[in-house]
Amino acid sequence: MAPPFLEIRNLAKRFPTRQGREPSPWVIRDLSFAVGEGEFVTLIGPSGSGKTTLLNMIAQIDAASDGQILFSGDAIAASDPKSLRPGLDRRIGYVTQDDNLLPWRTTIDNVLFPLEVQGRLDDKTRAHAETLIKAVGLSGYERYYPHELSGGMRKRTSLIRTLVYDPPVILMDEPFAAVDAQTRAQLQEDLLRLWEMGRKTIIFVTHDIAEAIALGDRTLVLTKQPTRIAAEHKIPFRRPRNVKDIFALEGFASVYETIRAEIQ
Amino acid sequence: MTTIDQVISTPAEPLISRKTAVLLGQLGFAAVLLIAWQWAADAFGIIFFAPPLAVLQRLYEMAASGEMFWDIWATLKVSAIGFVIAMVAGAILPFGLRLSPRVTEAVEPYIFWSQGIPKYALAPWLILWFGIGELPKVIIVIAMTFYVIFYNTLAGVRAVDFRLINMARVMGASEKVVAREVIWKSIQPFFYAGMKIAMPHAVGACIVGEFLVSTEGVGYYIEHARELSDTVGVFAGIVVATALVLVINALVNWLERRALAWRPVARDMR
Repeated sequence: MAPPFLEIRNLAKRFPTRQGREPSPWVIRDLSFAVGEGEFVTLIGPSGSGKTTLLNMIAQIDAASDGQILFSGDAIAASDPKSLRPGLDRRIGYVTQDDNLLPWRTTIDNVLFPLEVQGRLDDKTRAHAETLIKAVGLSGYERYYPHELSGGMRKRTSLIRTLVYDPPVILMDEPFAAVDAQTRAQLQEDLLRLWEMGRKTIIFVTHDIAEAIALGDRTLVLTKQPTRIAAEHKIPFRRPRNVKDIFALEGFASVYETIRAEIQ
Repeated sequence: MTTIDQVISTPAEPLISRKTAVLLGQLGFAAVLLIAWQWAADAFGIIFFAPPLAVLQRLYEMAASGEMFWDIWATLKVSAIGFVIAMVAGAILPFGLRLSPRVTEAVEPYIFWSQGIPKYALAPWLILWFGIGELPKVIIVIAMTFYVIFYNTLAGVRAVDFRLINMARVMGASEKVVAREVIWKSIQPFFYAGMKIAMPHAVGACIVGEFLVSTEGVGYYIEHARELSDTVGVFAGIVVATALVLVINALVNWLERRALAWRPVARDMR
């Protein structure tokens, strides 16, 4: 049997203990799950459940204390911080909670940034960037600096900045948490539409149960610290989905209630 | 019918605009200063206070003979060479130190202590070594400006948002690209703040150097005039030195505005 596309095996994390203090607690312990290629997995858990830490470890900007991360069967997680390979050769994209746009670059220059640093900036990739800008409604704002954009626009910019270089896996850390409900619904629609176009593997962290159900093929529920997987739900709704109507679908209420009960 | 616009309408235009009023005030203040200067010349005598018109006359003569420009050139050359060396070293060193926290810890105290040396106290020793040419002055200029640039850049490098660095790395940026595209761009405000402080220091240090050892330059002109009890010359030299610093400041401000054009501006400041 082929190994899973991305597998997390008994992952554990504790931060270094400061001198003269109690040993720091385990943030994550014995956490395991697998993700198939092209699958949209949503992770949901109480706040402070180490969700960002988990994504940081998968993106390789933070070292695991124990356990393994396997990418197509190859172990990639390093417990030695010095041998981390952030983004693992551009195969793992990461849309962080804060937009982390470069403030001195305009919208278009922020979107082109990954192509530029990867030496892949040409007419074709530039056209692709322009298509994405159009697809999320940022046309006309190409020459604006981040501080001149609204929160929702910055989120869109940060989202397509990762999509533009086409990493096979994309991690998303509550990317829409900081925007108002209406903008969020619009961003979710945008994301689903873009995902239908490319079918990337997505691991999407959220604390919004409805969002987890609306977006995911599968939803994993995390426990409190030390974080493990508490439960797993296959989301039965057909695609393409309409985020705004998801509440009305038969079965939504029962999945919602079950997940809510599982999150402590 | 009264609309809300009319009710909270802006007050009527004043007789003279705000800009004109400010300009008039500035001119008035300049006139007061000039009158005070003239009064001081009358009160203390020409040996201590050169009258403004005599200074103006001298400046015209210096410009007409071309002497002024040679002196400016000499001072500018030494200041610029020293400043550029200090700037490059002060900007690059923090980038090097960033790579190794251990080396930083070892080296930083020495940089801090060496800053405590009164730089002009080194002058006799530098003359001993390098004679009375340009080199001792260049070294003094470097010593007077390096620390400002270095500490500003270091503070900037330490203040860089680490999340931006991680973002760039995840996207496949090499450490070289991270240094150039993220860190260097982030520290621009710090770097320019350092430049603005260091530039006048560079000219100042060069002029003091010229007091001590020189045969040319604005500092030499001032010191030479003093030796001849030519107070008008001393004043003219000071005016030239001031003008030089102001022009350089304007240049740095212009460069800064260009480099930091992306920054949010408070548009309604008036």
